Amino acid sequence: MSTAIVAQHVRRITTAQRYPRAVVGSLGVLAVVLSFYSLSVGATDVSMHDVLNAVTGNTSDQAAQIVVDFQLPRVLLAWLVGTALAVSGGVMQGVIRNPLAAPDVVGVTKGAGFAGMLLLLAIPGVPVLAVVPAAFVGGLLAAGLVYLLAYRRGATPVRIALVGVAVSAAFEAGIRFLLVRNPLDVSAALIWLTGSLFGRSMSSVYEILPWVVVLVPLVLIWARKLDVLGLGDDLAAGLGEPVERTRRLLLLFAVALASSAVAVSGTIGFIGLIAPHMARRIFGGRHLASLPSAALFGVLLMLFADMIGRGLAPPLEIPAGLVTAVIGGPYFLYLLVKTGK
Amino acid sequence: MTQSTGIAPGPAETAVHRRPKIVTSKQRVTWVALFLLALLVIGVVWGLSIGSQHIPLSRLPGAIFKADDSDELILQSIRMPRIVLALLVGAALAVAGALMQAVAANPLAAPEIMGVNAGAVFVVVLAVTVVPSLSGAPTILLAFGGSAAAGVSVMLLAGSGRGRVSPVRLALAGVTASSLLISLTQVLIIFDENSADSVLFWLVGGVNFAAWGDIRNLLPWLVIGLVGAFSMSRSLNLLALGDDMARGLGQNVERTRLLGSAFVVVLCGAAVSVAGPVAFIGLIVPHIVRRLAGSNYTVLLPLCAAAGSVLVLYADILSRHVKPPYEVPAGVVTALLGAPIFVYLARRQKVTSS
Repeated sequence: MSTAIVAQHVRRITTAQRYPRAVVGSLGVLAVVLSFYSLSVGATDVSMHDVLNAVTGNTSDQAAQIVVDFQLPRVLLAWLVGTALAVSGGVMQGVIRNPLAAPDVVGVTKGAGFAGMLLLLAIPGVPVLAVVPAAFVGGLLAAGLVYLLAYRRGATPVRIALVGVAVSAAFEAGIRFLLVRNPLDVSAALIWLTGSLFGRSMSSVYEILPWVVVLVPLVLIWARKLDVLGLGDDLAAGLGEPVERTRRLLLLFAVALASSAVAVSGTIGFIGLIAPHMARRIFGGRHLASLPSAALFGVLLMLFADMIGRGLAPPLEIPAGLVTAVIGGPYFLYLLVKTGK
Repeated sequence: MTQSTGIAPGPAETAVHRRPKIVTSKQRVTWVALFLLALLVIGVVWGLSIGSQHIPLSRLPGAIFKADDSDELILQSIRMPRIVLALLVGAALAVAGALMQAVAANPLAAPEIMGVNAGAVFVVVLAVTVVPSLSGAPTILLAFGGSAAAGVSVMLLAGSGRGRVSPVRLALAGVTASSLLISLTQVLIIFDENSADSVLFWLVGGVNFAAWGDIRNLLPWLVIGLVGAFSMSRSLNLLALGDDMARGLGQNVERTRLLGSAFVVVLCGAAVSVAGPVAFIGLIVPHIVRRLAGSNYTVLLPLCAAAGSVLVLYADILSRHVKPPYEVPAGVVTALLGAPIFVYLARRQKVTSS
């Protein structure tokens, strides 16, 4: 079951593993550079000069105003959503010891999306701050459902993945049903179907910010516990870890992170699956090193997806979730083929 | 051992007899068939009579042959094609599902899970985007190509060709390939026309845009597919015994598989190119019918056709109640009905290799 992870444990130490800070640092620099570039991409061309002006607080001209009002929230959200999804996926893969685990694979994404959408449509004037808790409940419900349904004398990775896909399909059917009951405009509909950062404002940033700021450090503090859990239940218990409690709490954090991301950006898929894998390829199984770099990979992917969606054919917007699906689908297939050997 | 079986059937022998459940009670099959037929008739009448304009059914005969006034015109050009298309699409997808499950020897092999439907949708939308004037018959041919390519790639990715494929692995590969193709389709639609309606239609499928022209394009292919499938039922029965047994009984297993897959492609490609990927028909109908009427393909396939028609017909009727004056694609309803059954089937799968 955990052969893939174990295999990565025993792999020879790479240069990246020897200098984790350098790698994380350069990923961070890359993400910052991409962010600045991303600020200038969009329906209206904005020069780098204006971007720098806007960021330094000089918002006198129109171009800088565009950057601050429209582009900046998106870039900030790309950071937050990418981090939340990637860390959530990393935790899930570590806790379930399953290379195929990810918020979208185990149904959390669609469950949270359904619940968030239900709340928004059922109570029209609902304060946006209530959406994240609602999404959290939906995500938790979906994850619990998947785990219950997949559990038959142990839940094997592939069965969890398949039941997760089926439960996701059920929630997706629910989302589509809500969409036809309550016709939204196309961009709003696509946000809930595939996830997008289109038309988000600073209020979305404030919605997700507290969750990421609180939960990600918590997870990082617990990163060693994740490593211990990766040794297997018996060994972890022998090392004095309350296995079941730690596992539940960590999964709760993971679901909360993914749900908060879904609440602001819709059901963006595959980031929670791919980013932790990329990080683990570089850093192996040590979560304290792999989780931050997973987060940065998540940020890079989100920035890239959002930028492609905006810049490919302006003024048309391709939802970021579609781009991540086009990147992530083949990667998942590759993983599936690889785990089969 | 061999002598003792002559006197009383040993446990091994009864086990062999029990495994392929080909023997079905004729009475039961008759009842199921009659029940489906009744549902079908009721559904057709019901479907014809609902709509924003109230039209008495006595106008029906007039509407079939000539359309004199507005009532008869509504019946003839709006309600009748919709119902006929629902019947055809349901039959095609359900039979394709049964065929596919037999050919792949895999309970989760259904056109919507194996990416066959998504492949057809992607190619059709691509064709319509690139060559807007293209419509009708050529798109159906392209849809065949799309569904065949998608189905074959999924099989290869899931690792068939290296012996038996685990159903779970096949399903995961198929679902992922489907979601990839659907995402690409959405990108195309966004480029082409930014409307929620067409996105939804190609995502969920439905018969609410039915027109007689579509049905004329579709019909020959469906007839070929259905007749071909029905004529294969004996080979499929033998295939259900397992490859070795079927070979021993003189079957050309590879030919049966190839032919069966070709009919799946024809049925799904044709149905999807007109009605979109109506969800889960091919997955759930064969399972339900197999429960009710056993797994003899001679009766299973026709009953699947009937049950598929019934399902799409009623889903379409239900979908008109979802949000009354608006037209809602029937696929929304079939997805809601089918997803729990998908969950149930997914849960039941044994994982052979993980």
